[in-house]
Amino acid sequence: MKSIKYITVILAASILGACHKLDTPPLGVISDEQVFTNANAIQAYMADIYTNLPIEDFVYEPNSGFLTGNGGRWQNFYHTDAIDGEMVGPYGGTGDAAQGFGFWPYDKIRVINVLINKLPAYASNFTPSQVNEWLGEAYFCRAYTYFALVKRYGGVPIVRTVIDPNASVASLQVPRDKEEDVYNFIASDFDSAFALMTDPGSNIPQGSASKYAAPAYKSRAMLYAGTIAKYGAANYVAGDAQAKGIVGIPSADASKFFQEAYDAAKLVEGHFSLYTGGYPDKQQNYVDIFLKPNKEDIFLRQYTQSDPNQNGDNAGPHSWDATMTCRIMTADGLSRAYPSEDFVERFGPLPVVNPDGTPTRFTNRADLMNGLEPRLLATVYFPGATLRGINFDVQRGIYKTFAGSAAQELNNSLTSPNDVQTGSNVNLYLGDINAVANGLNVIGRAGVSTNGDDLTRTGFYVRKYIDYNKPASACGLYQSTQSYIDMRYAEVLLNRAEAAMELGTGAMQADALSDINQVRDRAGAVPATVSMTIDTIRNERCKELAFEHQYWWDIRRWRTADQVLNNRNMYALLPYFISSESKYIFLKQLEPFKRTYNFQKLWYYEPLPGGELGKNPNLFPNNPGY
Amino acid sequence: MNKLLIKGIIGAGFLFLVASCTKTDNIAGPDSAFQGNIIDSVTGKNLVTETGGVQIELKQLSWSANPDPYYIPSKPDGTFEDTRIFSGHYSVIPTQGAFWPVDSILKDIKGATSQNFTVVPYLEITNVTHTQNADSLVMTFQLQAPRTNGLPQIIDATEFVNNTPFVGGGAFIQSFYNESSATVSINSNWSSAIGTTTYRTVVHNLQPGWTYYARIGVRLNDSYKKYDLSDIVQVAMPTK
Repeated sequence: MKSIKYITVILAASILGACHKLDTPPLGVISDEQVFTNANAIQAYMADIYTNLPIEDFVYEPNSGFLTGNGGRWQNFYHTDAIDGEMVGPYGGTGDAAQGFGFWPYDKIRVINVLINKLPAYASNFTPSQVNEWLGEAYFCRAYTYFALVKRYGGVPIVRTVIDPNASVASLQVPRDKEEDVYNFIASDFDSAFALMTDPGSNIPQGSASKYAAPAYKSRAMLYAGTIAKYGAANYVAGDAQAKGIVGIPSADASKFFQEAYDAAKLVEGHFSLYTGGYPDKQQNYVDIFLKPNKEDIFLRQYTQSDPNQNGDNAGPHSWDATMTCRIMTADGLSRAYPSEDFVERFGPLPVVNPDGTPTRFTNRADLMNGLEPRLLATVYFPGATLRGINFDVQRGIYKTFAGSAAQELNNSLTSPNDVQTGSNVNLYLGDINAVANGLNVIGRAGVSTNGDDLTRTGFYVRKYIDYNKPASACGLYQSTQSYIDMRYAEVLLNRAEAAMELGTGAMQADALSDINQVRDRAGAVPATVSMTIDTIRNERCKELAFEHQYWWDIRRWRTADQVLNNRNMYALLPYFISSESKYIFLKQLEPFKRTYNFQKLWYYEPLPGGELGKNPNLFPNNPGY
Repeated sequence: MNKLLIKGIIGAGFLFLVASCTKTDNIAGPDSAFQGNIIDSVTGKNLVTETGGVQIELKQLSWSANPDPYYIPSKPDGTFEDTRIFSGHYSVIPTQGAFWPVDSILKDIKGATSQNFTVVPYLEITNVTHTQNADSLVMTFQLQAPRTNGLPQIIDATEFVNNTPFVGGGAFIQSFYNESSATVSINSNWSSAIGTTTYRTVVHNLQPGWTYYARIGVRLNDSYKKYDLSDIVQVAMPTK
């Protein structure tokens, strides 16, 4: 019995004796030292930063966000350009996504700040150029993230340091900075990134930032700041945040920002170039920009098919092929977003109406494509085009006979003598995919359907980024791995042209003309002339960067969204078969769902997330109108 | 002994449970009401507007220094009412309407509370006529500005048509709106010429046998682009 007491005492002594070893580093936590003394660990740390970088890529949804590890990320048709009218799509209107998704990536910014603030202390473990390259990339990623914030909210808190979570609550409640100060901060981070990174020469890394990516993005950010200064001063929503400069930039600073945008874009010259490797076929060349690695790519997000957990992170495959073209060309999935006729008409009116006002008769639908701009044909699949050996069989209905002008059919009111659909004298047959009239299918296998929205209802399908090389069996959900090009040299030229045109001197205008004509020449378009205006440059931007998540931000920063999306219905170009003539006609009609796109001025800024406002009263005032 | 102990523990446990039950929600429900009229300073009568044509913004300062704003939308007759308001001290302002900005007022809301607001509309729509032709409705009108200095740019005037009496900038039949003749684009600052012009709008393709409601709305390029509206006219189309 006594021996138990002794054993207990000895055991207690041995337990207490172990106490001095409790100071060992915990095995479950990776220390700063472990990461920042090992090149592979830093590489992994950087990979995490890039994975979480807010890139508006294939899987980004304007109302749901960046969808890292989200099961909804197959639905690539929930696209920014489906709320701004470039496409009509699954959204009921602009308001479905105009107020964002509560983006607030300060946890991601913290991860970047940790590297920026702590890596220098461990610099002796590496060569200076290694350290500078990592720091440069980190500055690039921080600027990139702040740009994603400022374009949504205007002024946000600028946090440069690693804040101690145990500090007093008051010190954690960082107030908002002015919008102009955030843009200046972004510019200085891109400058730091540029200064720190080394010129990779022709060996440009894929999927990570490089020296000349920094000024490319700087040109984008500074162009945004310049246009917000110039146009936001006239068209704004009044409120406290606006009065204090937390949103909005003084108009006097517009030219400073335009000059910075121009200088940054000019810096990129010579380091990247427009892709022309597929010449002389300019249409095929344009298609391949988005499918073949080339010298136009400045910054990419890459995807891999081998990711075992397809939804696990942003490196898994996407579903662009399966969700942007017609199901008859794919393995599974469905499409829901379609280019509008309004977008197609940016390239000029289509030859579908004769001088006398009657609709032009076509023997084959594909004949419409004759003589159109190669870039348009490479961006949009027209009725009668072919993908993977299958025809885009698009037809809205059948007219037995068709008399009179196209204009009377314009508004889809179906009240002209041609439009008799009931009774004994039926002349116009409309219907679903199974409808048959006099032995002919009423609608095409690729649309136009008004039952559901998984066939086109504008007549068009997206072609940009569609991988025509793959068989249909390889075009299912989570089977697409083509890279998303977040920045390419064509945009740098367009940034440069717009900034130059806004600066307005004769020499600058000549520079803008030369930039635009480089883009146009590659596109196979007719060159612009000296009579070019700022609207020419803006239209060129919309044409070149269509379906690349750009137009939405452009009409916001130009402060034109409330005018171009003013209770607006988009148009479709609908092919009909005239059975008495065995010919096709194309009628420009309202897109059959008649979705209305309306932009309220207060959406020039998104509301700050309510949860953040609750935690940090220094974020007030909220943006005007909210 | 053991049984007693267990009983005691269970008894004590119940006591704890019951004790926690006494923490009732002691914040009063939203049992106050707030209502009133939005008065047009020019006519002295209620502002002619539409559902949500004006928002009464309430900020409950007795709840928080930075309260989330709460909005009561106007009714078409220029009144507003909400019978589920928390009692407390509020900052109240009519906003998001087509009138000159006004200052907020402080108001204690408790029980049934009333407050009228007087606003100066950007524009009054005067001398409104409507003429019914075969399948179309022609309206003419003039614009008067109670205050012209600093008036926002006038964008356009539109003939809104709907098949219910709820007609205005937020309720109209889109196909009539899409007709170019339904809207007069003005896109200019106020001038005396605007004050002397008689504007004319037309919508076509009204269906026989239907009753329509129509009015003119004019909007200015301020923060909210809401409409100043005319009285609603009722138009019965003859059957064919």
